[in-house]
Amino acid sequence: MADDHAHAHPHVNYFGVFIALCVCTALSVIFDVVKPTPALLVFLVLAVACAKATFVMTYFMHLKFEGAWKFIILFPTAILAVGLMVALAPDMAMHYYDNDAAQAKTRDTLSADHAAGHGDHATDHEAAQAGSEEHGQDEHATDKHKAGH
Amino acid sequence: MQAMDQCFRGMNGVTPLVNSMSHAPAKPAVHMGLPLPNSKLGMWLFLGTEIMFFTAFIGTYIVLYFGSVGPDGKTAWPTDPHVTHINVLAGGVNTFVLLASSYFVVVAHEAMVAKNFKRAWNFLLYTLLLACLFLGIKAYEYSGKFSHGILPGQIPENDMQAVRMFGDDLQSIVDRNLDSLISPGNTQELKRGDSPLVTGDEPLHVKATMVTEVMSATEDDWLLGQLQAWQALNTEFNGLRSDISANRLTVADVQEKLAKMHEHPEYGPMVSHLHLAKVIPFGNLFASTYFLMTGFHAIHVIVGMILFVAVLKQGTRLDERSTDWVENSGLYWHFVDLVWIFLFPLLYIIPGNI
Repeated sequence: MADDHAHAHPHVNYFGVFIALCVCTALSVIFDVVKPTPALLVFLVLAVACAKATFVMTYFMHLKFEGAWKFIILFPTAILAVGLMVALAPDMAMHYYDNDAAQAKTRDTLSADHAAGHGDHATDHEAAQAGSEEHGQDEHATDKHKAGH
Repeated sequence: MQAMDQCFRGMNGVTPLVNSMSHAPAKPAVHMGLPLPNSKLGMWLFLGTEIMFFTAFIGTYIVLYFGSVGPDGKTAWPTDPHVTHINVLAGGVNTFVLLASSYFVVVAHEAMVAKNFKRAWNFLLYTLLLACLFLGIKAYEYSGKFSHGILPGQIPENDMQAVRMFGDDLQSIVDRNLDSLISPGNTQELKRGDSPLVTGDEPLHVKATMVTEVMSATEDDWLLGQLQAWQALNTEFNGLRSDISANRLTVADVQEKLAKMHEHPEYGPMVSHLHLAKVIPFGNLFASTYFLMTGFHAIHVIVGMILFVAVLKQGTRLDERSTDWVENSGLYWHFVDLVWIFLFPLLYIIPGNI
């Protein structure tokens, strides 16, 4: 069986493919150093990555010399892989809600019980009370901040 | 070993005889399914699932990258190399290493087909060594991140979290020092009646109440000095703790206090490793996605190395029975290369440019 399909592969200049892949990698790094406009850089490095992936699949993985079965196996997975990205896209590009992540604020409004979370020390109760007052003020400050916008 | 080898050869020799004696015509029987060996079909089906596996990670990463917005509504994903400790050079070298290893696998398979098994064995060894080099560079990159505290769940994402983390770190330093100072080893000469003053089983809050008793009883100057330092540190910590709980300290305040603490003549050495962690908004998501993608990729590299070792350990006995194995592990290895081809720009170059 091994011999049957092995002879089907014509000779490929694998070293040439390898050199092309190295040149592509060098190009990616050069683009990063030269820094054209950000959008162009992203386009270029992704184009280079796709070119490299095509080289690897076509020659190293011998897909160029395989029968039509390669489409039967790879097409459904490609659909599902792309489908996942498309399905996730609304959450990154089309969200209808205001993003209110804590990371976007400089001073977080943690709940008062979190301040009391350290448990086993006598002064914590006092600290927690002081903390809750402080938090109350903080929330006011944040509201004003929002109103200002 | 040689006998076993001959035995296999003998079996191989018998097989065509059996075929020629069978009643089947010269034309091979109709082959069901796809025109490729089952092992290769299995490998390609597996690689199909692997494509979806890694696409899920990459898709999640892209969503989180754009979804993690700052006050201006644009992505606030950590991209500064001085913050993320992403090393483009290390990533670029690793890309080259994997490409070279892919090249050696494909020429190893070519040599196997040409029945030049010695040559194939050497090429597979080069592949294995390059895989080791890849993991070595990866480990160097990981250790650079670990040493800067870039770990999921360990990164403060705003000023208050950084201050609280500082308080927690200080508390553990206070507790650790108390635990080691009030220990049977340090206080063995101190007795209460016939039994030792410190048994070592006391919980920390009990040990804290024993400090003054030990100080008045001990004649060990070093222990006395350390306990005095601990008391000073504990007093400082108690003052800071209520301020931290009440959210009264800013990052700048803590930095100022920390500088003073480091220079303190008594407890300075106890807090020499204490520092204020850098605030990295979305740093934990960054660390999670980075380690998830590169970690799973590294696991794939290790699995590939096992596949190559399985062939290499045959040594000079390597023959055509391993050709399919080399081809299939080669396909797997090219896929590992393929994943890195996309991870390199997505993790090392594009962040910060979009």
